[in-house]
Amino acid sequence: MSSSPVAGPAPTGPTSGSDTVTTGQPAPDRSRRPERRGPRIRPVPAGARRGPRPRAARYWPQYLAISPYYLIFSVFMLFPVIFTVYLAFQRWDGVGDMQFVGFQQFRFLWDDPVFWLSVRNTLVIWVLSTVPMLCLALVLAVLVNSTKRLTAFYRVALFIPSITSLVAIAIFFGAIFSNNFGLINAILRALHLSAVPWMSNEWTIKLVIAALMTWQWTGYNAIIYLAGLQAIPSELHEAARMDGAGPVRIFFSITIPLLRPIILFTVVISTVTGLQSFTEPQVLFGSEAATNPNSGGPGQAGLTTLLYFYHQAFDNNDFGYGAAIVWAFFLLILLIVVINWRLVQRKERRP
Amino acid sequence: MDLSRRRFLQAAALSAAAAGATAACGGGSGSSGSKDSKNLTLWYWSGGLSDKVVADAKKHFSDISLKTSVVGGDFKTKLLTGLRAAQSAPDITGIKGEDIASFLPNANRFIDLNSVGADKLAPQYLSWKLKQATTQDGKLIGFPIDIGPCATYYREDLFAQAGLPTDPAKVSAELSTWDAYFKAGVELHKAIPKTFLINNIGSVFSMIVGQGTQRFIDEDNKFIGDQDHIRTAWTTAVKPYTLGIDAKINDNTWNAAISGGTLGTEIGAAWHALDISNAAPGTKGKWRVASLPGGPSNLGGSFLAIPATSGNPEEAFEIISWILSPENQARGFTDAALFPTAPAAYELPALTGGDAFFGGQKTIEIFGPAAERIPAAYEAPADAAVSAPYYSELTSIEAKGKDPDEAWKDAVSQAMQIAQRQGVK
Repeated sequence: MSSSPVAGPAPTGPTSGSDTVTTGQPAPDRSRRPERRGPRIRPVPAGARRGPRPRAARYWPQYLAISPYYLIFSVFMLFPVIFTVYLAFQRWDGVGDMQFVGFQQFRFLWDDPVFWLSVRNTLVIWVLSTVPMLCLALVLAVLVNSTKRLTAFYRVALFIPSITSLVAIAIFFGAIFSNNFGLINAILRALHLSAVPWMSNEWTIKLVIAALMTWQWTGYNAIIYLAGLQAIPSELHEAARMDGAGPVRIFFSITIPLLRPIILFTVVISTVTGLQSFTEPQVLFGSEAATNPNSGGPGQAGLTTLLYFYHQAFDNNDFGYGAAIVWAFFLLILLIVVINWRLVQRKERRP
Repeated sequence: MDLSRRRFLQAAALSAAAAGATAACGGGSGSSGSKDSKNLTLWYWSGGLSDKVVADAKKHFSDISLKTSVVGGDFKTKLLTGLRAAQSAPDITGIKGEDIASFLPNANRFIDLNSVGADKLAPQYLSWKLKQATTQDGKLIGFPIDIGPCATYYREDLFAQAGLPTDPAKVSAELSTWDAYFKAGVELHKAIPKTFLINNIGSVFSMIVGQGTQRFIDEDNKFIGDQDHIRTAWTTAVKPYTLGIDAKINDNTWNAAISGGTLGTEIGAAWHALDISNAAPGTKGKWRVASLPGGPSNLGGSFLAIPATSGNPEEAFEIISWILSPENQARGFTDAALFPTAPAAYELPALTGGDAFFGGQKTIEIFGPAAERIPAAYEAPADAAVSAPYYSELTSIEAKGKDPDEAWKDAVSQAMQIAQRQGVK
């Protein structure tokens, strides 16, 4: 591994959820580098009183101003993340005494078919949602970018789904796709087509979850693309048009290549967030049930890895195993992000 | 996706923060001296107790200030967190029936109610229910709020249409075995094609397991989920699927199915009556209640417990025994459909009256005798966790048409793995 993949997680910083990724060294390391020169030219002890004070003292108002975030971050994110590492090597029911079990939880994980099923489900749902989502977002962004009127309306409309309550959306989608009484099946029946058992077939369950995620996040990505599009100088488009390129040609030869860094950003973000789908299946498939809650629906087709983790930790009180699940999953996300990064990076070098 | 991340981090933060609290007070228990004996707190969930009875309890115990919190969301997780810190733990708390077994290994976090007078009251309450909250060395950690004696709810009008018996006593007598019940289901479905007998096969499985005296793990902490009593329950549960009388409802469409006549019968606990009347107010008067095929079974029913950190356990138990007296349990039945755990309440007018939703039927005639005959089964702490794969595999049969024998093998092997993880032999 060269240094480039290590830098991979860095852009995910702004979205708080990927903090598990950013806790690695690269980001702080780099920011520290230029400043390190300061202390190095520290004056001789004779002038200690008049010379520059230590950095922390000199910049205390600035440090104070940014401290709330770091305090909250370390208490509610950094500490839990580190604690789960410890927990993954214990057997703990949440109240009683912990018992050190070494790598046993990871051995269980390796042999657990349901864990691998959940990983498969997560990957399928991720692909089913991310690919259409990003393609659609790009097309929408280009369309909105070319409109002259009502642009503010379009932008707001695109953004609204991403700030809508996920639980509300899930309930709504559950009603639309309901097997016997849903809107979609009512339309199909009205057209004399046979109804589709959306919420009980192994594939359509994934499709419904993916559709939900696509609906919610397409607009958000479109807004990011829109910002990228507006950074492209219009001369390039004009020049291409002068050379006789049609809109499709311009899209593929000018827009997409110039948007590559933005596309990379959205791909990384969507990877990290898309793999963490949890609420969607949890709300869609009876999390309140007394027997067998959070099982991910018929045939466990909607059981994503995080839902499985939640089930093991909070329904079964198996906190050690839950911790092992999330760490194994973290490594998987990291691997996929690195692969993504390298793929796009290589393409970028070519021109 | 944003929310999902937040939930995930919340969960992580919660478990860690809780652990921090454990570490901070060196093992958790101990510092109970800070609690005050005149201000008691009571935690329960919405519908877990009758709000009217709780309000009266505040008046009745005037020398004590009783503060109640109706805790929303995942009650068990919040209680687990609360238990680790004396400051945040309630003085009295509800524990759901499905969670009580998982609290038994940590009985030292609770007051043994027998030490504050529960042993004198015990004969008035159902012994099998008390057993659920009793550790193997005889400590009682919870006092029973309610139970869920199970029965068959059926649509009298649809039974009449299909030429089946309609009188509750007759239905109870003729449909007394699972096979007779399924046979009636076939006739029902033949007469009215859109009507099925049961909601899903998981519900049948849970009823049959509840009818036995053994579950998935025995008293010696050995896994017995691969033995005959579970295998029989499985085979019987799969029958309605093969007979085509299973509505296969595993999603949110149950409400519509129950009101639209898709379900001709519904097997469930006494409290389930409320779900039916809420989902299908239009079918009022058309439902009846009959005995469950194959004998009585129980589903759910909660407890009140006193955490070890409670400031005043004696007074707390006074409050509990007042709230759960037969008279107040009868009020809880009227108010919140909480089926009493003290058989004396079954004679009170609140229970002996007819129910208009069931065409004026006196449902206590079905539920009362069932409640007293429910078998006392040993439920191990890991029982719920170990049973999960069976239910998941049953839905696989319904959703994917998975071969039942293959599903059984997968369910057993997964259950054995979970048992191993949970420290079961």
